[in-house]
Amino acid sequence: MSLVLIAALPFIGALFPGLMIRAGRNACAMMTGSFTLLALILLLIEAPAVLQGEVIRNQISWIPSLGLHANFFLDGLGLLFAGMILGIGLLVILYARFYLYKTDPMGQFYTYLMLFQGAMVGIVLSDNILLLLIFWELTSLSSFLLIGYWKHLPEGRQGARMALAVTGGGGLALIGGMLLLGGIVGSYDMTVILQSRDVIQASPWYLPALLLILLGCFTKSAQFPFHFWLPHAMAAPTPVSAYLHSATMVKAGLFLMARLWPVLAGTDAWFYIVGITGLITMVLGAVIALFKDDLKALLAFSTVSHLGLITMLLGFGTAEAAVVAVFHIINHATFKAALFMTAGIVDHEAHTRDIKRLGGLRHLMPITFTIATIAALSMAGIPLLNGFLSKEMMLEEAAHTDIWVGIFATLGALFSVAYSFRFIAHTFLGPKRDDYPGHPHDPGFGLWAAPAFLAVLVVIIGILPQTVVGALVAATSGAVIQAELPYYSLQLWHGVTPALFMSIIAVVGGVLVLMSFRRMEGVWNALPRPEAKTIFDWIVEGIAGASRRLTDALHDGAISRYLMIFAATAVITGVVSFMGGTHAAGTHQLLPAGPMAIIGLLLLTVASLGVVLFHRNRLLSLVIISVNGLVISLGFVYLSAPDLALTQLTVEVVTIILLLLALNFLPKETPRESTMGRKWRDGIVSVAAGIAVGGLAYALMARDLAFQSISQFHLDQSYPGGGGTNVVNVILVDFRGYDTFGEIIVLGIAALAIYALTQTLLHGRASRRLMEIGKGIKRDGDRHPLMLVVATRVMMPIAVMVGVYIFLRGHNEPGGGFVAGLVVSIALLMQYMASGFAWAQARQRADYHAIIASGVLIAAATGVGAWFADRPFLTSAFGYFQIPPMDKFELATAMAFDLGVFLAVVGSVMLALASLSRLARRAGETVNDTPMDIDPSKTTEEAR
Amino acid sequence: MISADISIVLPEIALAIFAFGALMFGVYTGKDRTAPLLIWLTAGFMVALAFWLGVGATGNREAFGGMFVNDAFARFAKVMILLSAAAVLVMGQDYMQRRDMLRFEFPVLVSLSVIGMMIMVSAGDLMALYMGLELQSLALYVLASIRRDHAKSTEAGLKYFMLGALSSGLLLYGASLTYGFAGTTVFSGIITTLQAGDMSLGLLFGLVFLLTGLAFKVSAVPFHMWTPDVYEGAPTPVTAVFATAPKIAAMALLARLAHDAFGPAVGDWTQILAVLAVLSMFLGSIAAIGQRDIKRLMAYSSIAHMGYALVGLAAGTAGGVQAMLVYMAIYVTMNVGAFAFILAMERDGRPVTDIRSLNMYSRHEPLKALALLVLMFSLAGVPPTVGFFGKLYVLRAAVEADMTWLAIAGVIASVIGAYYYLRIVYFMYFGEEGETLDRRMPPVQWGLLMASAAVMIVGVVNLFGIDPLAAVAAQTLVR
Repeated sequence: MSLVLIAALPFIGALFPGLMIRAGRNACAMMTGSFTLLALILLLIEAPAVLQGEVIRNQISWIPSLGLHANFFLDGLGLLFAGMILGIGLLVILYARFYLYKTDPMGQFYTYLMLFQGAMVGIVLSDNILLLLIFWELTSLSSFLLIGYWKHLPEGRQGARMALAVTGGGGLALIGGMLLLGGIVGSYDMTVILQSRDVIQASPWYLPALLLILLGCFTKSAQFPFHFWLPHAMAAPTPVSAYLHSATMVKAGLFLMARLWPVLAGTDAWFYIVGITGLITMVLGAVIALFKDDLKALLAFSTVSHLGLITMLLGFGTAEAAVVAVFHIINHATFKAALFMTAGIVDHEAHTRDIKRLGGLRHLMPITFTIATIAALSMAGIPLLNGFLSKEMMLEEAAHTDIWVGIFATLGALFSVAYSFRFIAHTFLGPKRDDYPGHPHDPGFGLWAAPAFLAVLVVIIGILPQTVVGALVAATSGAVIQAELPYYSLQLWHGVTPALFMSIIAVVGGVLVLMSFRRMEGVWNALPRPEAKTIFDWIVEGIAGASRRLTDALHDGAISRYLMIFAATAVITGVVSFMGGTHAAGTHQLLPAGPMAIIGLLLLTVASLGVVLFHRNRLLSLVIISVNGLVISLGFVYLSAPDLALTQLTVEVVTIILLLLALNFLPKETPRESTMGRKWRDGIVSVAAGIAVGGLAYALMARDLAFQSISQFHLDQSYPGGGGTNVVNVILVDFRGYDTFGEIIVLGIAALAIYALTQTLLHGRASRRLMEIGKGIKRDGDRHPLMLVVATRVMMPIAVMVGVYIFLRGHNEPGGGFVAGLVVSIALLMQYMASGFAWAQARQRADYHAIIASGVLIAAATGVGAWFADRPFLTSAFGYFQIPPMDKFELATAMAFDLGVFLAVVGSVMLALASLSRLARRAGETVNDTPMDIDPSKTTEEAR
Repeated sequence: MISADISIVLPEIALAIFAFGALMFGVYTGKDRTAPLLIWLTAGFMVALAFWLGVGATGNREAFGGMFVNDAFARFAKVMILLSAAAVLVMGQDYMQRRDMLRFEFPVLVSLSVIGMMIMVSAGDLMALYMGLELQSLALYVLASIRRDHAKSTEAGLKYFMLGALSSGLLLYGASLTYGFAGTTVFSGIITTLQAGDMSLGLLFGLVFLLTGLAFKVSAVPFHMWTPDVYEGAPTPVTAVFATAPKIAAMALLARLAHDAFGPAVGDWTQILAVLAVLSMFLGSIAAIGQRDIKRLMAYSSIAHMGYALVGLAAGTAGGVQAMLVYMAIYVTMNVGAFAFILAMERDGRPVTDIRSLNMYSRHEPLKALALLVLMFSLAGVPPTVGFFGKLYVLRAAVEADMTWLAIAGVIASVIGAYYYLRIVYFMYFGEEGETLDRRMPPVQWGLLMASAAVMIVGVVNLFGIDPLAAVAAQTLVR
C-alpha cells in the first residue's frame, strides 16, 4: 500500500497549509514540506528494489464496471519522475517559503502546490490509464490555480487563460486517445497495454489514437505549434515556474510519451510526427529564447527548446535515443529548476527581470551569480557539467539519424549556447549599474539553498555520471524500452566523435552569435513574426465570431425559420427512410374518379392556392377557406358519409361566422414581411412537405394494414349493441361515449376560455388598443336590414324544428345531438347577426354557462345511470315503446346522452358569440335595442 | 383487476390528487399568497413519493394490459424526475417571490407536468406514451409563458407551443403508422411483430416519426430550435425546470420506445440516434461559444449534453442505457447546481444573465466561485469531477458497441465545448475588474449550489452507488 500512500500524501498535505498558516509561515512551510518529505522517504525505501528491476504494484478496485481501478505501479520510469517531482517539490517548498511576499496568502499557495504535486505523483504512478487521465486533468486544474495565483497581474490572467485553453483541450483529446487505446487492447491497465504492442500497431484505430494522445502530450509539453502558452504562463510566481515549467508539469507529456513508447513508437507515423515536431520545437524555441529580454521568458523558451530536444529523441524510436532522452530529462530538471530559482532571486532582489535593465550583478550577488553560471553553462552544454553529457549523446543520435537532423540539431545547440551565455553575460557580467529598480544583493540562505543544491547535483552528475545516476538511468531506460538495454556509456569523454565536432561548432557559433547580438536583434525586431498571444486572441475571437454568426443564422428568433428547418428535416428523414426500406407497390384497387370528383379536387386546389396568394387580405382568405370547407363537406357526401358531411357543413358555418366576428377586431391586412427569396424558400419547403404527406397518405391507402378494417365490426354491432342503425351516431354516443363525454367537456372549457380571454381584453392596455382599431373605419349604414331581420325571425322556428328533427332521428338516420346543436346554434346566430346582440340578448333567458353545465351534467347522469343497472359507466340501454296513437318507437338512454351533447354545443357556441359581442360593444359599437322600426312584440309607444 | 391496476399507478394518482387538491386550496384560500406554502408542500410530497418509489416496489409489474409498466427502469427515472423537480421548485421560490411573479399555479403546473413525465417513463403503449407526453408538454407550455405580461416569456411559450404541436403531430403520425402496420399500440405487441418479420416500410416511417417527435422533446439537433429562445425567454426558475426533469423523462421515454417497442430494429434506430447525437454535440458546443447570456449558454450546453446522452442510447446495448441513465443523473445534478447559482445572479436586486458580470467573482465570493468552478469543470467533463465519469460511461458504451467514430466525435465536441465552460471560470478568476454581483443568495440556492458542487467532487468515490442501480434498470429494459 505504500504507493497509494505516496500518491495520497500530497493530497493529505494539501489540507493542512490553510490551517497551519495561523501558526506562522515557518510552521506552515515545514508542515507542508514534511508531507512531501515523508512521501519521498517512502519512495526511496522502494527505490533499491526498483533499481534492481522489480516492479511494485498496489491495486484497489474503484469503479470496476467502468474499468477504472486505483492501480499503482512503480518501475524505473515512475521512480525517476516521482523522485523528481517530490525532490524538486521539496526544494520549491523551501524556496517559496522565502520567496513569497508578506502580503501573499501562503497557505493557499501551498494548498495548490500540494494538490498539484499529488496529481503529478498520481500520473507517474498510475497503472490504469483512466486513473492517469484523472490525475492528468487534475494537474491542468491545479496548475491553472497556481499560474493565476497573482491575480493582480494582467499577464497572469492571460497566461492562465491560454494555459487552461490549450492544456485543458489537449487533455480532453487525450481522453479520447486513451479510450481508443483501451478499446483496442480491451483493458485499461497500463501493464496490459504495455504488452500489446502488436495488437495496437495493427489496429486501424492506431493512427487516430496516436494523434489524440500526441495532441495531449504536445499541448502539455508545449511542443510546436502549442509552444506559445508556456512563456505566457510565466507571470506565475517564480516557485511555480520553477516547479511546473521546468521539472514537472511540462514533463508530464514527455512522461506519457516515454511511458507509451514501447507500444506506440517504432512506426513511421510516430517517427515523423514526434521526431519532426521535436526538432522544430527545439530549434524554434532556442532562436526565440535568445531574443527574449524577460529572464523568465528566456528560460521559458529554452525550456520549450529542451522539451523539443527530448521529444525528438523519443521520436527517433530507437532504444539508444530513448536512453539519451531519459538522461536528458534528469539533467534538464536539475539545471532548469536552478535557473528559474536564480531568475526568481534576481527578480526578487532587483525588482525587475528585464535583461536590458540588468547587468553587473556579479559584484552585488556573488552567490547567485555562481549558481546561475553553473546551471547556465550546463544548459549550454559545457563539459564537466551534466548538460554536456546528454547534449553530446543527443548530437550523436541526431547525426546517426539523418544529416539534416544533425544539422538542425547543431543549429539548436548553437542557439542554446548563445542564450545561455546571454543569460550569464547580460545579467551578471558587465559593469555595475546604478539604475536598478531595487537594491540587489544576495538573499538569505533560505532562498539560495535550493538552487545551490541543484547546482551541486549538476556538477556531480557532470563529473561522475555513471556513479551518481547510472543505476537510475538504467532502470528508467529499461522501463521505457521494455526490452534489453542497448549499449551506451555515461561518461565524460567519448573520444573524437562527430558529436564532439558538432558540440564545438555549437559553442563557437553560439559565442559568435552572442557577440553580434546587437545587430541580430535589430534584424530580429525588424522581422515580421507572429505574436502567439495575438494569434491566440485572434483565433479565439474568430471562432467566437464564427460561432455567433452561425448561431444568429440558425436561431434568429423567427419561428418561420424554425418551422422551415423542422419541416425540411422531417421531409429529408422521410425520404431517407423511404430510400432505405424495402417496399412494394400498393395492392388496393383505386376508385374511379368521376367528373364531379375531379371538379371538386380542382376547386379544392384552387381554393388552397387562393388562400396562399390572398392570405394578406384576411376577409378574402376567410371566404376562400370557407370554399375549402364546403368542398370537403361535398367530398364527404360523395364518399357516402352523410353524417360527416352534415357535421362538417354546420361546423364550417359556425366557425366562419365566429371568425368573421373576430376579424372585426383585427387589422384588415396582414403586414408584409416576407421577401421574394424567402417566399421561394418557404414555397419549396412546403410543396415538398405537401407532396411527402400526400404521397405517404396515398401509399398507406393503397396498402393492407396489419389488420382488417374496423368498419365491419361497427356495422355488425351497431344495431344489436347500440340499438341504432346510424353507425356514426352509435359510435359517438355509445361505443365511444367516453370520448364524446370528454369532448363536450373540452368544448365547454374552450368556450369558457374564450370568455375568460375576452374578459381580460375588456380592461387595461389591450382594451385601449381595441378601441383604436374601430376608429376611422367606415361602417355600413344599414346595420339591420329589414329583409334579413324578417327572414331570420321567420326562419327561427323552422330552424329549431329542423334541429329537433335531426336530433330525434339521429340514432338511426344521419344527424344527432352534435349536428342538431350546431343547427340550432346557427338559427340563434342568425338572430344575433340580423337583429343585433342587445336585441337578441334581451330575449334570451338562459345563462350560457348554465346551458353548458347542464349539458355536461345530463351526459354524466346518463352515464352514471348505467351503474344502477350494474353495468359499466355509459353503457346504453334501449327499448321499444308504444303510446297510441303513435307508431312503436324506440327510446335509448343514448338519447339522453345526446341531449347533453346538444346542450353543450349550443351553450359553447353561444358563449363564444356572446364573448365576441361584449368585445364589440366595448370597442364602441352602438347598441340598438330596436333593430326594426316596428317591434311586433311591443306596443308602438313602448317601442318609441 | 382494476384495483390491482390502480395499486400500480398509485404514485401517479396520489400526485394527481395532490395537484388538484393544491389547485383547489390555492383558488379558494389566499391565491398567490399560498404559493410559498404550496411550493414546499409539493416539493416535500415529491420527495416522499421518490422515497416511496425508490425503496418501495420491486420487480416488474404491468397495469392496464401492459399500457403502464412499473419496472426498475421506470423507478430509476421517476426518482430522478421527482427529486430534480422538487429541487428546482424550492430553488425558484425566492426568485419569483421577490419579482412578484410567484403564482400558486406554478407548483401545480410543475406537479402536473411531473405526472406526465412519470407516465411517460412508465409507458408501455403508444397511447400511454402520448398521454404522458402531452400532459407534460401542456403544463410546460403554460409554464414557459407564466409571465404573461412579459413579452419574451409569452413569445417563448408561444414558440414552444407551436413547435411542440408540430412535433406532437409528427409523433402521432408515427404512432398511427406504427399502429397500422403492427396492428397494436402495445410495445410488447410491436416487438412481437418486429420479431416475426422484417421491418416494413410503414413501421420504419412510424419509427422515424416517433423518434422525430421525441427528439424535439430532448431538444436534439435539428429539433432543438426552441431551446435557446425558451431558456432565455422563460423566467429563470422555469428555465431550471425545463433543463432538468423533462429532459430525463424524454430521454427515458426514448430509451423505452427504442428498446421495448423497437428492440429488434436496433440497427435502424441506432443510426438515427447517432446522427442526432453527433449533430447535437457539435452544434451545442459550437453555438455556445459565442453566447454571452448564461441562460442561452445553458440552453446550448443542454443540447450538447443531450447529444452525449444520445451517444449512450445510440450504442443500442444495455451498457448504453446504463451509461445514459448515469449520464442523465449527473447532468441533472450539475444543472440543479448551476441554476441555483444563475438564479442568484443579480446586481442591485435585478437579475443579470450576462456572463461578463462574473468578472473577478472569485475575489468577492471565493467559496461560491469555487463551487461554480467545480460545476463548470464537471459540465465540461474534466476529470476528476463526476462529469467526467458521465462522459466516460457514454463514450465507453459507444466504443464497446463498435461505434468508435461516435466516441471520437464525442471527444472532439467535448474539446470544443470545454471552451465556453472554462471561459466562465476564466471570467470568475481572471476577468477584469468591473461591477460585481450582489452578495445576496438565499439559503436554499446556496445549499443546493454547494451540495451539487460537493457531489461533483465526492461522487468520484463511487458515484453514490447509482451505477449498479442504473445497471439493473438498464437490464430490465434491454432483454
